[in-house]
Amino acid sequence: MSKTRIRGRVWKFGDNISADNGIIQYSQVPDLATFDIPALKAMCFAELRPDFRERVRPGDLVVAGANFGHHSHAHACVAMKESGIAACVVESCDSAFIRKALNVGLPMVVCPGITGIVEPGDELELDLATGEVRNTGSGAVRHARPFSDRMIEVWRAGSLTRAMRQRLA
Amino acid sequence: MGQTVAQKIVARAAGRPAVEAGEYVNVSPDYTCCQELAWQTRKRMMQEIGVDRVARPDKVIMVVDHTTSASMGSPYYLSHKEMKDYAFRNGVENFFGAGSGLRHLVLTEKGFARPGLLVFSDEPNIASIGALGALNIAVSSEVVVTQITDENWMLVPKSARIELAGRLPFGVLLRDLAQILIRDFATGDALSQCCIEFGGPAVANLSLDERQSLLACAYHTGADTALMPVDDKALAYVRERAQGRPYHLLSADPDAAYVLETSYDLSTLSPMVTVPPELHGAVKLEEVAGLRVDQAVIGSCAGNRLDDMRAAAAVLRGRRIDRGVTMYITPGSREVYAQASREGLLEVFVAAGATVLAPGCTTCWGYEGVLCDDEVSISTHQMNYHGRNGSRSARSYLASPYVVAASAVAGRIADPRTILADAGARA
Repeated sequence: MSKTRIRGRVWKFGDNISADNGIIQYSQVPDLATFDIPALKAMCFAELRPDFRERVRPGDLVVAGANFGHHSHAHACVAMKESGIAACVVESCDSAFIRKALNVGLPMVVCPGITGIVEPGDELELDLATGEVRNTGSGAVRHARPFSDRMIEVWRAGSLTRAMRQRLA
Repeated sequence: MGQTVAQKIVARAAGRPAVEAGEYVNVSPDYTCCQELAWQTRKRMMQEIGVDRVARPDKVIMVVDHTTSASMGSPYYLSHKEMKDYAFRNGVENFFGAGSGLRHLVLTEKGFARPGLLVFSDEPNIASIGALGALNIAVSSEVVVTQITDENWMLVPKSARIELAGRLPFGVLLRDLAQILIRDFATGDALSQCCIEFGGPAVANLSLDERQSLLACAYHTGADTALMPVDDKALAYVRERAQGRPYHLLSADPDAAYVLETSYDLSTLSPMVTVPPELHGAVKLEEVAGLRVDQAVIGSCAGNRLDDMRAAAAVLRGRRIDRGVTMYITPGSREVYAQASREGLLEVFVAAGATVLAPGCTTCWGYEGVLCDDEVSISTHQMNYHGRNGSRSARSYLASPYVVAASAVAGRIADPRTILADAGARA
């Protein structure tokens, strides 16, 4: 398997999922100065999918509709990453959310049409270098913007600071 | 396919002939700009990376603007000193200490914001520099990474066009349009990942201050950043301050692609008030007129330029604010402060019973002018969510400097046109 591919089982969400009042409950984060991993994992998608915490497996993917993660703090990205989510594939989101997610090692892939080709539990395979997103069951394909080499370097390292450390070592 | 201005600016910084909207590219920005609030986070990132130097000191601009004095009880005095030491150690000449003013204004006044330049900053509201044709891209604390490496990735913004026509009616300011745009766009994603290119016949009549204040609000519509056309007015300002440093006059190709094109007729606007806690809560002033206010504030990157000082003074001249109101006025930079002084505006404010604060962000993020439970404020600030200016039960209404000053005098949310008409008759 190419080193830019990610394959995983889909959790599917709708449009306009807020980061701070949907992915997590920002107002209930106990300590905003640090990332409280257990607390963030406990609240990840808890309001939208009460069974998420129990059933999420490392390597699962999030698929969501338009305007995913608006009003975001990085805590929402940390919550998904630490819960085991390997990537998010969304109809649309703001630019800052792509950056915040990648900085903690979580690819946020904008892929118009994605919600039309997957159902919850389907398996998707995506290639960050080509932007191809494929439903492995149905074979349906949609295309996202390819990540730049620099972005792939950050994803591989697991975070922006780790990527920088490796590069400048 | 033709290129928009934003695409051309990014292409130049990427060293490529052209870039596509929505594409991820590596760029070397012309400047990075940051403030002191996140200094401790940036310091921690540098420690994790293991590097404490900047690649191009000449491209780094550091400004202490959120905390204009190292106050007793505030933790930021340490960041003031550490940031200054870091700048000096790294040969960063463009360090501006407390009281210099906001990054937004320092960038324009000191000639850093020039047409065709790409700036990575730690704040989306610095889109105000688009009034001089410079493109702001906000990157948060990781601005430090760009400072270390002199390059980073970015998403090429899509472009949207908003045409402005007509002249603003009496008593109405461009700030009123900003609040209308946020009302119209903030609840959807029509401007998501966009650079708004403003244009149209009305732009020529707008001062550079008005243009900057409007662009400073662009992010709240959902856009990434914004630009204005670089006309003679903008170019004259740039030439005066560029000190020979380069700039690039760019215009959109005739077949450039826009995801949205719309227009606003300024002559149809009237004074607006944004009702908390949502930024898209703008209503006509008449709907909330008469509401008692405890505090009235002129300040923030969308309300602290010389035009805003003059607007406030036009209402306050020869009047006193209501005895139940506390009023703070914060000029946005030393230059604005000095000019307001030369024009006698500071004297007008003091005589009216207002307090003039040192140039900086001050009240906008609640560092000063903290509100108690259930208090009501009306201001030219940028945010109105629960707790932004103190107590979570306090309410922060947003409006133009005319409306804020008129409300300070009345002690209630008030229509500035009555006072302004009276002032005009007396003059």
